[in-house]
This record gives sequence, structure tokens and C-alpha cells, in this order.
Amino acid sequence: MAEEKINFSKLRLRCGLEIHQQLDTAEKLFCSCSTGMREKDSIKSIKRKQHPVASELGEVDVAAQYEYLRNRIFNYQIFRNETCMVDTDEEPPHSLNMEALQIALQVALMLNCEIPNEINVMRKIVIDGSNTSGFQRTAVIGLDGHMSYKGKNIEITHVSLEEDAAAIVKEEGENVTYRLNRLGVPLVEIGTGILEGYTPEEVQDIAFNIGMICRSTEKTKRGIGTIRQDVNVSIRGGKRVEMKGVQELNLLSKIIEIEVKRQMSLPKAEEEVRAVNEDGTTKYTRPLPGSARMYPETDIQPIVVQNEFVEKLKKELPEPWMKKLARLKSKYNLSEDLARQIIRSEHLELFEKIVEKTKAPGATVANTFISTVKDLEKREKVNIKRVREEHYIDIFENIAKKKIVKEAIPEIIKFLAEKPGETATSAIKELNLEPLDLVELKKIIEEVLARPGLLYEKAVGLVMSKVRGKIEAEVVMEQVKKLMK
Amino acid sequence: MYSPEIESLLKSKNIKIGDRIRIAKKDSVHEGLLMPRIELGDPSSVVIKLDNGYNIGIKFEKGLNIKLVERGKPIRFLPAKIVAKKDEEKPTVSILGCGGTIASRIEYRTGAVFPAFSPADLILSFPEIKNIANIRGRKLFDLWSEDFTSEHWKIIAHEVEKEIKAKADGIVLMHGTDTLHYTSAALSFMLQNLPVPVVLVGAQRSSDRGSSDNAANLICSTVTAASDISEVTVCMHGSSSDDFCFVHQGTKVRKLHTSARDAFRSMNVLPYAKINYPSKVIEYLRTDYKKRENRSLKIDDKINENIGLIYAYPGIKPENVESMARMYDGIVIAATGLGHVSTNPSNDKFARSLIPALKDLINSGVPVVFAPQAINGRLNLNVYSAGRMLNEIGVIGHGCDWTPETALVKLMFVTGHVKEMDKIREMMLTNIAGEIGKRTEVESFG
Repeated sequence: MAEEKINFSKLRLRCGLEIHQQLDTAEKLFCSCSTGMREKDSIKSIKRKQHPVASELGEVDVAAQYEYLRNRIFNYQIFRNETCMVDTDEEPPHSLNMEALQIALQVALMLNCEIPNEINVMRKIVIDGSNTSGFQRTAVIGLDGHMSYKGKNIEITHVSLEEDAAAIVKEEGENVTYRLNRLGVPLVEIGTGILEGYTPEEVQDIAFNIGMICRSTEKTKRGIGTIRQDVNVSIRGGKRVEMKGVQELNLLSKIIEIEVKRQMSLPKAEEEVRAVNEDGTTKYTRPLPGSARMYPETDIQPIVVQNEFVEKLKKELPEPWMKKLARLKSKYNLSEDLARQIIRSEHLELFEKIVEKTKAPGATVANTFISTVKDLEKREKVNIKRVREEHYIDIFENIAKKKIVKEAIPEIIKFLAEKPGETATSAIKELNLEPLDLVELKKIIEEVLARPGLLYEKAVGLVMSKVRGKIEAEVVMEQVKKLMK
Repeated sequence: MYSPEIESLLKSKNIKIGDRIRIAKKDSVHEGLLMPRIELGDPSSVVIKLDNGYNIGIKFEKGLNIKLVERGKPIRFLPAKIVAKKDEEKPTVSILGCGGTIASRIEYRTGAVFPAFSPADLILSFPEIKNIANIRGRKLFDLWSEDFTSEHWKIIAHEVEKEIKAKADGIVLMHGTDTLHYTSAALSFMLQNLPVPVVLVGAQRSSDRGSSDNAANLICSTVTAASDISEVTVCMHGSSSDDFCFVHQGTKVRKLHTSARDAFRSMNVLPYAKINYPSKVIEYLRTDYKKRENRSLKIDDKINENIGLIYAYPGIKPENVESMARMYDGIVIAATGLGHVSTNPSNDKFARSLIPALKDLINSGVPVVFAPQAINGRLNLNVYSAGRMLNEIGVIGHGCDWTPETALVKLMFVTGHVKEMDKIREMMLTNIAGEIGKRTEVESFG
């Protein structure tokens, strides 16, 4: 059944984005713990309660928070080198990490933000236990920025530098467990103005653009969960609904679309906060009282930002990613799609190095890192980390010299992951991956076709199983077709 | 305070803290609420709270234009209006504020944090306490604990007496943590024949945070004040978790960490009790406390504040110790090991013996009291020759397991009562408030 096309501009779709990107600094934002998040096992855990703090808003608000927190117990897992007494809220924060501030300021400047003369760290109340203190430390470091997208101006309302919250491990009734190694990892938060007149795909693309601007600093963390998106969505006559914590960028447009359909199906949409499920659908989460309340973090001195410092940063901004994308496409002869994938890949640097050095075709190298390596890791559980840079260079030198066909690459990588002491050249020999010439191929095909009554697909399959990694699949199909006639 | 230029500009436009203002510079305009200048920041930056809740500072420069957009509402708190009905079945606990903000309220519009003391405010912040006791409360004074003097101890002692006369079944004193253990030692000497529990409590992590230790500490303190332990005690977190609090003996407790929740530890004794925070159940760890009983409190507030406390360390100069000690009516030396300072019995060419200086001091009527700088453990001046020599010249402290802080407070108390060296020695070495223990439980260390 064909899906009915939704006319988003007629519905007056309005979105807002908040992008959170972890920074790859040596130390956390307010202490000297590692930001590596590598430790597997916690060394101990502590149990904490939280309670409401009364405010001028009076008794009702406190009562609501009290009910919510009354029986909640927060378990915090502690990891060696990655958790200290600042993270357990047993020690006041140390000074703000200047490496993180510098990266965040670069992002703000690339988004054409104004930098405040004095940065004030705030305490933002959080009562879900994800911060051991009960608040998240955050500072706005850029305001009133903009970026261009398809010739239009996208408003950037703010760029903030903040500490990441602890990652949730499990929630069992009123018992919530968090890992403290993520707490305190520096994060930039980028907020857009209202995005109106864009399709969900375009909103996703805007989020991609912002993510890439962060990436251009080359000081951002990569991998699942290191960039998270919140998106709010409203359509004509509906209320603003915020969806939190989208980890997979490619789900964003789907999430927006599903939300639009959900709102269309409701007589009246309520203002609410929804959490994102893995499949892109969302579920209602109880609006937490006490959010977005901020007061000064008096343990941290306000930071005066000198004009000269900002001017110096402006002069040394990294290559904008759009330029980089164009360069990758033309220099390495990549499609738009492939270039966009490799620019986001953790292997970008290695990709460029290999192509420069071996002169292997860019698309082959890019595809190896974008799909082959990932497939081997995911489907065949190959320990890809054991394959080193010199292994790849060896493989692609063989490709460039046409000593192997690209179909041989997965087999060689698998071999090297098992025997990292070996070389690609020895793998080729051992696995018998020298390319077949047409005469040899034809001989094999004829042997296969000797069996009567074979269908084309079956025949290709049988031939492929005999020649895998030694010749291009297209050639096999073409030759089988030819010889079957 | 802002810089004079900013202050005068604000004054000329009749702009006050909390007003909504617009600040224009040559290439930017910002609007928000004018914030007070906190002491740490750059006084020449105007701080405003933006509509998104963040504060930023805008540097004052020529051509900066500030405009009043809207007059702000005055910042003030309406007192909480909760009235808890008196439950005749429950004891009455009086909570007195002596500084140290255990409860506070945040005014999010400006970010100001206000301390809260009234019973209604305490019940608002910690609703469970009304299930433990009927709560009375008031503020005695608001003081950082490092600013305390013996005069403040006296005020507290007399206010405690008033509360007991007004039929309080227990008293909780909210106090800054830095010198909490000095106050608990002083009150232990001053409040004699105590009929009800007197519990000192503080918070190591500020009370504006939802994770502060204030809630567990105050609730467990209220449980202690309603309990049978009619002693001066300190009730604070027992671990980094919010699972239990310890009830420490007032003369045997010390702050051992600058910031951790479980900073307070019992020295050379077990705590009196452990209070389970979630269940409020008391587990007694000792039985040697005075039980609640109808007896009349006696206040003895004769204190001589003119006592010094010196740390012994390698290379300490005898003449410095002596000239310093001359300024005092008595000194406590936090001695090394089992109770030592340099005595140089081997006539080392670099070492300097303190024996002649200390002997002169003692002979001229300045008592010299030792306490272990190791904090844990007991002095024994019989083991090494240095100890024996020091004991011989009349240093006071052999066999004592007091902390340097308790020894200091005790010497203040003792010299407030007697002046003769023999009397001082006798009173110092007589246990008054559990400050000298005869035996040490094995579990008390570690």
C-alpha cells in the first residue's frame, strides 16, 4: 500500500533542534578524570537519594518533586581513572577545562556566534539522578549565531559548554543505576531557532551539518552515543512536543514524520516530552518538575574572555566541513553519498593517508572502511582492532598494482585479524587469492555447466563459491550468461 | 558590587537588581534580568540572566547603552505556611540555627540562595521530620563556623537551657562543619547533668543541591534528639551513600575530610549509634551513654579562650615555641607519635631540644598539654626516652587519647576554673565528659 505523501509546509511543520556533541578532551570538564569511558567493570558503587529543594514557586512544586523522589534510589557505579570524588559529588569542582572551552569556542565561532565577555557557569536543576549533585553544570559560550543551509539562514540561538550526565545502566522500579564515567565529559550543546519550511529530511540534514561543524574541530568523540539530538515538533494547531535523546541521526527524519502523523491523529496535541525508542517511535515520559531552572555555580569563578583570544581563535578556525566535503569528492573521485559517509567516519584520516600513499581508487578504500570493515565486525565478529594501518596500506598497494581484486579484501582482513603478525602479501598466497584470468574462469564455468538442468542463479552461485575473492562478481555473472547460451 | 562606573550608570537610570534591562553595544544587543555581581567575577562586567536561564557578563565599555525595560519584582520569600499539628504522642525537638545552612530556598529568577530556619521551612524541605517529632525551631545566629569564639559556645549553652526549660525533649543544633567538633567538645564540658539529647549537625555539601547530605543528617539528628542518648553528640553521614548516619560522642569526634559526606569520624571510640536513614531505626553500638532522665541541667560556662595550639614538626625552633607559648595561658602541642617533640638525647649537631623551653614554660606556670597529631591512638610517655624526659618535666597528657582539638577546648575549660599548675594537671587528667578513655576498642580504628 502506497503511503500517502504528507505536505509538511501545508501542515506548517515547525521543528527545533538541540544537538549535544561530546568533546574528545584528555580530561573531564571540572576534574582531571579521563574521558575515555573504556573501563568495563566498576570497582564499587554508592547509593544516593535526592530530595526537593524549596524555591520561590512554593509548596506545590516541592510536593510534586517530593513525591517523585520519595522512594527513588540512585546507584552510581564507580570506575577507576574515570571517576573521582568530584564525580561522586564529594568534592567541589575544579576549574573549568580550558581545552574544552577552546574547542567549544571554535564551534561557536564557526556558527558565527557572539562570544560573551564573561562566561558564567550555571547549575541547571536535574532531578532524574543522572547528575550526582542534582544539577548539571552548564555555561552559555555563544549567542545569536547563524549558519547557511541551501541558501537560507538557520538561526543558532546558543552554544553551551556543559558536563555530560551519567549514563543510565538500568531502571528497576524505583531503583535506577547509572555509570559515573560519562558524568563530567565535556559536551557542546547547540540550539537552533525555529525551523519552518523544511521537510523532515532537510531538518535531519541540518542536524548533520551542525554535527559536521563540530567534527571539523577534530576534537569530538565518535561512535554511538557521542552525539545526541533533541528535536521538538509542532504542526498547525498543535502543541510543541519535544523528543529527547536521538542517537542515530538517520532516524531523525523518520521520528519527525512519525510524530507529525501522531499529532495529526490526535484531536488536540498536548505539550509533552517523549523519549525515543530504537525504531524511531517515541514514548511519553513524565514531564519532570524543576527542569530548566538555573542558578549560578558559585564554586567556579566566572571566566573573562579576552577579545584578543577570540580574534586569535577566529584566525585559526579549522577547515569548514563543506569545503572539506567538496575536496574529498573531487580529489578522490567519490560520490556525494560516499564522501558524506567517509567524512563522518572515524577512519577519515587513515582513508586520506592510504589513498595518498597507495594511489588505490578512493571509492574502493572508502567502501572498505564504510561497509566491509563494519560488516566483518558486526556479522562475522571479526576482531577488527587487530588490523593495523600498515596492513591496510599493504592491502591497498596490492589493489593499486592490480595484484588482487577488491573482492579479495574481506578475506584478507579476516585473515590478518586472526594473524596480525602476517602481511597482506602472505595472506594472498595462503588464501590463494591471485586473480583469475578469463581463460581460467571460463574453464571453471564450463565444469560447473557440465551438470545438466542448472538455472542461471544456481550456476552463478556455484561458480562464485569456487572463485570468491579472485575475480569481480560482475565478470562472473557476465561470463556465466555468455556460456549458458 | 559592580565597578563605580557601572554603579553610577545604573543609579542614573534608576535601575535595580532584578530589573529587566536591555544592553546595547556597537554590534550586539542583549536583554535580561540584571543580576547582582557575585564576589568572584569581574566587577566591570554587567551580569544579566537571559530568558533561557543562562547568565552572561557584558563588559562595560564606552558607548554601552543600558535601558530599563521593565521594573523587576522585589526579591523576597514568603515564609512557608505549613502548620504541623502537634502530636501529643511524639516528642518535641527543638532545632536551633547556629550558622551552617542545612535548609535553603532558591529563588530561580535571580539564582539567589536563601537560608531557611523556620520550622515551617524545615518541614517544607524535609517533610519526614514531622513524623519523628513535633518540631520547634529558630535561628540563634548566622555564622561561618570558622568565625566561632567561645562566646558563641556560651550563647548556645544558655539557649539550650532555655529550650529544655520550655520542655524540649531533645535539641538539634545546625552548625557549620569546619569547627563543629570544637563546639561539640565545648558543649560536652559546659552542659553538665544533661537531661535530654543535644545533637550537633551540619551539611558537607551545600543545601541548595538535591543531593545534599543535609536531609539524611537532619532527619537522623532529629531521630537522635528524640532518642535515649542524653549526651552532646554529632550526627553526620556514615558513608558516601545515603544509607546511614553515625552518632558520635561530642568529645571524641573530628572532621577528617575537607568535603566528603562522611568526613566526621569517631576517634578512639565507636560511635554511640548508627541510624538507618531510610528506616530511621537506631542501632546502638555502645551502652555507656547517659540515658534520658529527669535531672536538672547545670551550665558551667567558665572558659578561658587564651590557649594556643601548636603542631610539632621536624626542625621546630624552641625559641619560637617558647615565645608563642608566652602569649597564652597554656598551650596544647600536637605531638608526634606516642607524644614526642625533639629532645635531642644524642646531642646531634643539627637537632634542637625543646626540653629547656618547655621546662621554663611549665615552671613559670604555663601548662603544656600534649595530644597525638596522629589523631588516632593514645599517648604513652613511657615507651621512649623522649617521652620519659617530657613526662618528667611536667608535660600533661600521658595516657590520654584525646584529639588535639578536644585537648585545646578542655584546657580552655580547665584554665577557666583553676590557675595553679597542680590543680590544672589534676583536672586535665580527670575525665570530665568522656574525653579520656581508659580502653580502646579494636574496631575503633580502621
